[in-house]
Amino acid sequence: MAELRGSFGEARNHLLTRWFGTEDLHRLDVYESKAGGYTALRKALLDMKPAELVNEVKTSGLRGRGGAGFATGVKWSFINRDAPGPKYVVVNADESEPGTSKDRYIMENSPHMLLEGIMIAAYAVGANQAWVYIRGEYDGPHRMLVEAIAEARAKGYLGPKPMGVNYPLDIQLYRGHGAYICGEETALLESLEGKRAQPRSRPPFPAVKGAWGRPTLLNNVETLSTVPWIINNGGAAYVKFGTEKSPGTRLMSVSGNVRKPGVYEVELGQTFRHVIMELAGGPPDGRELKVFWPGGSSAPVLPASMLDTHTDMEALAAARSMGGSGGVIVMDDSHCVVKAAARLLRFYAHESCGKCTPCRVGSDWAVRTFDRILANEGSQVELGILERVADGLQNGRCLCGLGDSAGWVIDSTFRHFREEYEDHALRHTRARWWSRRPSSSASRSRSSATTTSSTRSAPAVSAWSSSPRDRRAHRQAARRRSPKEWW
Amino acid sequence: MVVKTLSPMAVQARADILEFELVNHPLDCPVCDKGGECPLQDFTFRHGYPTSRIDGPRLHFKKPIPLSENIALDRERCVLCYRCTRYYDEVAWEQELTVGQRGVQSFITSQFDQPLQSIFSGNIIDLCPVGALTSRVWRFESRPWDMTHTESICSKCAVGCNVNLWQRRGQLVRVTSRENDDIDEGWICDRGRFDYTDVNDPSRLRTPRINGAKATWADALATVSTGIKGKGAKLGISLPKDITNEEAFLFKRLLDGPLRGARVKMHGRTALPAPIAATLRIKDLDAARVIVIVASDTESDVPIVNLRIKKAASKRGARLIVIHPDGVDLDRDPNTIHIRNAPGSAAAEVRKLASHRLLKSAGGPIAILYGDGLGSEEMADLAKSCRDLADAVGGNVMPLYRATNERGAIEAGVAGWDPLDGIEALLSWGPPPTAGIPTSVKFMAAWDHLPRPENEKADVLLPATTFAQRQGSYTNLEGTVQFLRPPIEVVPPLKESWEVLVELGAALGLTLDYAGIFAIQRDAAAAIPALAALAQPPSPEPAPEPVLIGPAHP
Repeated sequence: MAELRGSFGEARNHLLTRWFGTEDLHRLDVYESKAGGYTALRKALLDMKPAELVNEVKTSGLRGRGGAGFATGVKWSFINRDAPGPKYVVVNADESEPGTSKDRYIMENSPHMLLEGIMIAAYAVGANQAWVYIRGEYDGPHRMLVEAIAEARAKGYLGPKPMGVNYPLDIQLYRGHGAYICGEETALLESLEGKRAQPRSRPPFPAVKGAWGRPTLLNNVETLSTVPWIINNGGAAYVKFGTEKSPGTRLMSVSGNVRKPGVYEVELGQTFRHVIMELAGGPPDGRELKVFWPGGSSAPVLPASMLDTHTDMEALAAARSMGGSGGVIVMDDSHCVVKAAARLLRFYAHESCGKCTPCRVGSDWAVRTFDRILANEGSQVELGILERVADGLQNGRCLCGLGDSAGWVIDSTFRHFREEYEDHALRHTRARWWSRRPSSSASRSRSSATTTSSTRSAPAVSAWSSSPRDRRAHRQAARRRSPKEWW
Repeated sequence: MVVKTLSPMAVQARADILEFELVNHPLDCPVCDKGGECPLQDFTFRHGYPTSRIDGPRLHFKKPIPLSENIALDRERCVLCYRCTRYYDEVAWEQELTVGQRGVQSFITSQFDQPLQSIFSGNIIDLCPVGALTSRVWRFESRPWDMTHTESICSKCAVGCNVNLWQRRGQLVRVTSRENDDIDEGWICDRGRFDYTDVNDPSRLRTPRINGAKATWADALATVSTGIKGKGAKLGISLPKDITNEEAFLFKRLLDGPLRGARVKMHGRTALPAPIAATLRIKDLDAARVIVIVASDTESDVPIVNLRIKKAASKRGARLIVIHPDGVDLDRDPNTIHIRNAPGSAAAEVRKLASHRLLKSAGGPIAILYGDGLGSEEMADLAKSCRDLADAVGGNVMPLYRATNERGAIEAGVAGWDPLDGIEALLSWGPPPTAGIPTSVKFMAAWDHLPRPENEKADVLLPATTFAQRQGSYTNLEGTVQFLRPPIEVVPPLKESWEVLVELGAALGLTLDYAGIFAIQRDAAAAIPALAALAQPPSPEPAPEPVLIGPAHP
């Protein structure tokens, strides 16, 4: 059974997580009897036409929860239902964004909610076949989905005649193999087709030419899991939640330095102060919040001073960040932003698929530059390289968002924490450190014999020595000197 | 739509990308084969940042790695443009080249580290925008600016791909493709690209020899004429497959005159008869909706036509019908309909096709390509059945000749395939007869460019020029006449072929009054309608190359 830490229960704004926590909710009979499951599917298949379904989702204003926030109803309407030949639905359950675990939360708690959403979507766009591309590491959710699909098949919801309607439906699972890039929709399709996962150039978009060259609807797990509620209660009811342009609620997975990390369902338009400080309990005792990622590691960071930013996508765009996948990563003042950015860059360099030059080379170059800065070998040159790499990575220079994300990491941390970078690159260099060091009489007497300048005094062990042992000695001396950990 | 190529954003984006490309590039331009004709150099010169911030270690790979017998791969120079893998995937339909690892560690590799097998592999050398893929045949031979190139025609098969022949100090050092969208679309096969080193063979024949002793041309040709004159059907003549139209025209005059009745066998000659009506053009394959390939493994017979067929199938949606006893590489298209006939029964299968569903409702032009099944088919029957099918379904045919100038030789009337059994005198022009030299031969004259074991028996040995020294023209399989240009000059005592034929005619008592190739071309154009294009050969000056514009710093 899944971990139940997070939001569920009777709260007014809990649409998705309303029944989470019910015992055995992942069983079909419980989902039907206690949570009113599959009523939306019955309604969709028996009482509604596909066009009405699409219109209902359009009315709801639901926006994709995977990261880009594209209007779901509009996406559905892009697929020409009357075009000859097969059409497919592919569900992106490759939740590989660091700091995000909302899809897992849904799949572990209520897999049937996802299946119901998939079936409704397939009926709406004229597809008979759906794939769930699930992250390879998600063993538990995979097992639960396998069981859920078997139950739905046994009950006849999946099969030649769901609910007695002559509309064959089938859902298959496909497990990823642990690549971040497979969360990108076209790379996911390539991987699903059995090829090397690299993004395709668009257009044509998947809605026109997707899996195996057929029109394909690609939606995130959370997006599709919201659909049953919308069909049951109507799109107009959904609009009552959230803001005008970002209606509804979304799951936010809060992690990092908070007292109660977990997945919380939040009405869009709430502030991050509410999410981080009230729901997640804020940073531990004696610590101050320093920085947070509002939408997974891809989203540009925001400093603690912008804690009152609202969670809807427009407000985040105005703050030069994005809603992303809803993963909120919180760091308190015990952490160094430069080191965190370097760690994140290493992740992006490791996960770059290698197709587009800026992402492939730029992220690796940034990692090497960060390494130099963190090894106290930084200078103005390194800062300049980072700025130029960040420039070169952004603005759609790559086929997918991975390059942009890597650029945003540098760009946003530079924007909000410039002084910290300068502290690392310009003040904590070895040369400066030696010049500020109170020199012993022995070294002073020796240096005075060779040079007259005190700032260029040559100590007993040269700072420029290349021996690893010397370098280690310098680092240890530096740590002893500064009680506050500075990286 | 308006595309701004000079906006500050575009200019900076180009400079940024180029800077990224150079971060891990080894910058070993001084010793790189591509240096001087390298797009990465040119683009960096034109669009790159004027200064470099790149320092620190670069990525290293083991290098160079042999991808095949002919191609070497330098992974450090590679900028991962994926042109080679895309070409292999989309154009050549091969699965041999792929990418290993991901991110900055990505590298091009052959499938399972096996050497490349495809006959189309050499094109990735031309495609590579840096010096990552280089020819092992030409590797470290010369700098590009030390060579001169001549626009010529490949002499290896009947497709007639356009090539550039590169010469340095009288040696043919490289063959590259020259784009002609009507014929080859910029591709050439490995036979044309790598099979040229015999031109530079130090053991090449240079002087005529009589019974092994050096002789003058006059003596040698007099001996030849004594040996072959008046033999009638007792004289056998073996012709090279790359005989030019001009040589064929002169040779026809000899055959009609002093050598009347001689048996002629042409190298590589298919059993296909002369075309009876206008045949299909290679470029017309692009528009075809259905392509029928009968009794030919196009990959080895006509490689670049094979690429056209693949393009028509994969990019233009044409359907393929193959009639061949064995598997062919066009079977890689899952929609290909492959009819496996018993050898010799292709004509019957073609007749059955007239009622085929695909051909009845093709919805566009139909192309019917036929070969001779390597001699297994009854050709007159097959050619007629293909023509009948074309007439019935509204298509056109393309006979797939194999020998380089087979169609031109057929039109000139010299392309025989007579058996050489029982002859007493043999004039072996080009490589010796494939069936071997008949034991009945009493006098043998060989005219070849290489010393070969078979030629040791020859009474007279004449040195021949190669395709790199020859003027003239070829008629390719679709009937287009194209001109050869010699990059390497003919140094005496070597003589051009037409000159030797004129002198041989004189020795045999036939006056062929020609002092140069142009007069022969004029006469041939007047005498043979199919060679009318010879009357006005295009200018031998190569097209001017675009000049690189200087730096445009952001």
